[in-house]
Amino acid sequence: MAHHLRPQTSMPQTTIYVSPRSLGAPDSRPPAVVTTDLARLFAGSPALAGVSLQIQAGLTVALLGPNGAGKTTLLRLLATAIRPSYGRAEVDGLDVDREAHLVRSRVAYLSHATGLYDDLTARENLQFAAAMLATPDAAERVERALADVGLTDRAADRVRDFSAGMRRRLALGRILLGNASLVLLDEPYAALDADGLGLVDQLLAAWREVGVTVLVASHAADRLHALVDGGVVLDRGLVAGVEGRGVTSVPPNLPAERRPSPTRVAS
Amino acid sequence: MSALRGEARVALAICRKDALAELRGRHATVSTLFFAAVVLLLFGFALGPDSARLAAAAPGLLWLAVVFAGILAMGRLHLLETDDGALEQLALYPVARRAIYAGKALAGFVAMLLLALLVLGAVGVLFAVDVASAWAPLLATTVLGALGVAAVGTFYAGVTVRLRAREVMLPLLMLPVLAPLLLGAVKATSVALAGDPFGELGAWLQLMLAFDVVMTVAGAATYGFLLED
Repeated sequence: MAHHLRPQTSMPQTTIYVSPRSLGAPDSRPPAVVTTDLARLFAGSPALAGVSLQIQAGLTVALLGPNGAGKTTLLRLLATAIRPSYGRAEVDGLDVDREAHLVRSRVAYLSHATGLYDDLTARENLQFAAAMLATPDAAERVERALADVGLTDRAADRVRDFSAGMRRRLALGRILLGNASLVLLDEPYAALDADGLGLVDQLLAAWREVGVTVLVASHAADRLHALVDGGVVLDRGLVAGVEGRGVTSVPPNLPAERRPSPTRVAS
Repeated sequence: MSALRGEARVALAICRKDALAELRGRHATVSTLFFAAVVLLLFGFALGPDSARLAAAAPGLLWLAVVFAGILAMGRLHLLETDDGALEQLALYPVARRAIYAGKALAGFVAMLLLALLVLGAVGVLFAVDVASAWAPLLATTVLGALGVAAVGTFYAGVTVRLRAREVMLPLLMLPVLAPLLLGAVKATSVALAGDPFGELGAWLQLMLAFDVVMTVAGAATYGFLLED
């Protein structure tokens, strides 16, 4: 049975729901993310060239790097949106390729696209997501999620009329409907106003407080600094550096044809 | 059993979502109905004013209009999944792929059934065909025909939804596959309107039912691959 925790922080309105299945006792939890020589090629060019990472459960980790470094590709692989070309990745000990259907119940993913339906209202979009996620107490959770992302007043409006920032908020609200143990955020600050930026900060702090693992790709390194436990820097599809306890990487052991070169790296 | 109930709940949620989006946006309704009307009128003009000739051709015109307009409708119904990454988000929900297919096909079936019933009524009026006297076999034919177009259309709309040339590719892929269904539907409608003098209606309905079962099972089993990377 799911229960919810209110983080003891300065953001009393945000409620993160977790289930015993999704988190478990801290000392019994396997690493949230393990990748081994993980690579993904697009049209023969490696967007991710061989990443070996281990991230302990419950950490909030920043994923940094320039455009084309492979941040989005790594998140999409972990979210099961795309499949690895080489290597493997595990979420909570589950293989993202062979056990994708199980991984999907543990992962929430905010991508560049919001995945919202323009002709549905904000409330209807979340109601649909709640039905897909089999969210218990769906009606209450939908209203709370709308309130948490500041869209209660616009709940009955069609998403077609929303600004990019409001769509982003609603997509964040969808994440609050699930019981994910791993949250993947791709540029969560994009298109948000000052309140929206604060909302993302609140959510990151709340997830950190209740022990949900978060991997957040962003160019806002300064903003994230106080909110994360560690960081991974990617460059040209490889790990250029890691920081923080519980975040480790080993250099890849790549055959020559898979080593990235400036001309072969996908943008 | 509970897994099956869960999949049925998912399918109904997808069907409801598609219906809501269509009611709001009317992406498929207006264009599909207009297209069906144009097909009926053009074929009617091509055949001339001979009412006996029009009545004899009515079953064929009925199902050509339904199939042509249905292809348009199935494509439009899938097009809403292209809203801002909606299809990828749909694929990332922890639900069975066959439940997604079932939901999309159910929405398509409802749309096709309404379309076929409206076109049937229009054929009755335009070509002076007495559809009321054979309403029961015509209803059975319409239900089976709508189900077949929805089952095939859902699969191939999934195949083409990511393509730029989807408007061209969808009819090219669907029409050859729908040929047996079209044949069965036209013959069943002709026989039903003639009062089934030789007792062959059942055989044509069985052909349509077999087509529907095969296509629905095949679509449910393979639709998941279309959602994969």
